[in-house]
Amino acid sequence: MDLERELRALVLAWPETPGLELELELAPRVRRRRPLLVAVALALAALAAALAVPQSRGSILRLLHLGGVTIERVDTLPAAQERPLGAGLGPVVTQAHAEQALGRLLLLPAIDPPPPLHLSQNVVSLVFLDEGRPVLLSELGYSDAGILKKLTGGLTSITSVRVGGGPGYFISGGEHVFLFPGAPARLAGNVLLWQAHGLTLRLEGRALTLARAVELAALLRNR
Amino acid sequence: MEGRPREEQELVLRARRGDERAYGKLVRAHEEIAFRVAYLITRNAADAEEAAQDGFVKAWRALGRFRTSEPLRPWLLRIVANEARNRRRSAGRREHLALRAAASSGEAAPSPEEAAVGADERRRLLAALDELPEQARLVLACRYLLGLSEDETAAALGVRRGTVKSRSARALERLREGYGPRA
Repeated sequence: MDLERELRALVLAWPETPGLELELELAPRVRRRRPLLVAVALALAALAAALAVPQSRGSILRLLHLGGVTIERVDTLPAAQERPLGAGLGPVVTQAHAEQALGRLLLLPAIDPPPPLHLSQNVVSLVFLDEGRPVLLSELGYSDAGILKKLTGGLTSITSVRVGGGPGYFISGGEHVFLFPGAPARLAGNVLLWQAHGLTLRLEGRALTLARAVELAALLRNR
Repeated sequence: MEGRPREEQELVLRARRGDERAYGKLVRAHEEIAFRVAYLITRNAADAEEAAQDGFVKAWRALGRFRTSEPLRPWLLRIVANEARNRRRSAGRREHLALRAAASSGEAAPSPEEAAVGADERRRLLAALDELPEQARLVLACRYLLGLSEDETAAALGVRRGTVKSRSARALERLREGYGPRA
């Protein structure tokens, strides 16, 4: 057999082709500008709400998805202010109520007494102190892991990470804006996003480092 | 198979009008070959995935410039391969080619060609291929491992069709030298 036939006859073990999940916006036919910020939208419902407010966003340059969280890299800063982490998280509910709403057991830190749980549009949130600084943990009740990764330059850094073996992103530096269902846009601190146990989780703190965020993530348990 | 180009052309036209579902079908049809081309270039599955994803997003944005009279696959492969090369350059690393001879094709019985080329020889041939210089390795991998046409290979490698021909011939010669006589 000649060499070409031998090459064609090879059966190779290729890496599994990932299912590419592309979220696309109509391509803007304008000259691209350097991305100025990353807007982080929590839950598709929040994204839809944001899209309905023209002044809240500019052209989408890049979209990333992690479960129920959407990360947009846009070219125009939406109006947003610094607000307390615990603002607009929804009413306090029992753990049983929250878990019923999400259809999943929550992953919670070992804090006694446990911090109050808030529920808003299928997002459960709690604020707790870590080394004296407030940290916001939010959990979403679904995790269709359609990820479109794009790590480009800009003022905000998006780092693809693995948390407990699952996919995640750490968003830090620069200003980025957090849109929460039913709450006004606010400037966000550093954020770790990841998926675990069928949940999409979001951990935010002003001075949160990637290493500390991953440590905190590892301490969360069904309780 | 005859209906496919026409169907693809219709999908392209719909996608150009902003139909994301139509574009999604095109992505599904070409994502595997695009990912594998990117993998050959980056030698890293994660980089290849990113290259494929970004390539398809760029292609979506550039679809208005695509000439619908031409086949889509070479055009897509060119974009994805460019993304892969960018990643390879920025990553600045040369990982060992992770391809390996599969233990079996997964079929009940091997094809005549598979039967004729034993497992040891397959490994030896792949090792020799992996030892080739970048250009030679890629052109042979595209042509023979992926089964791309000369036009598709040219698009993926960013060279002329004639270059694919000449580069393939030289690469086969080098491979023959590296592969050596069979035991």
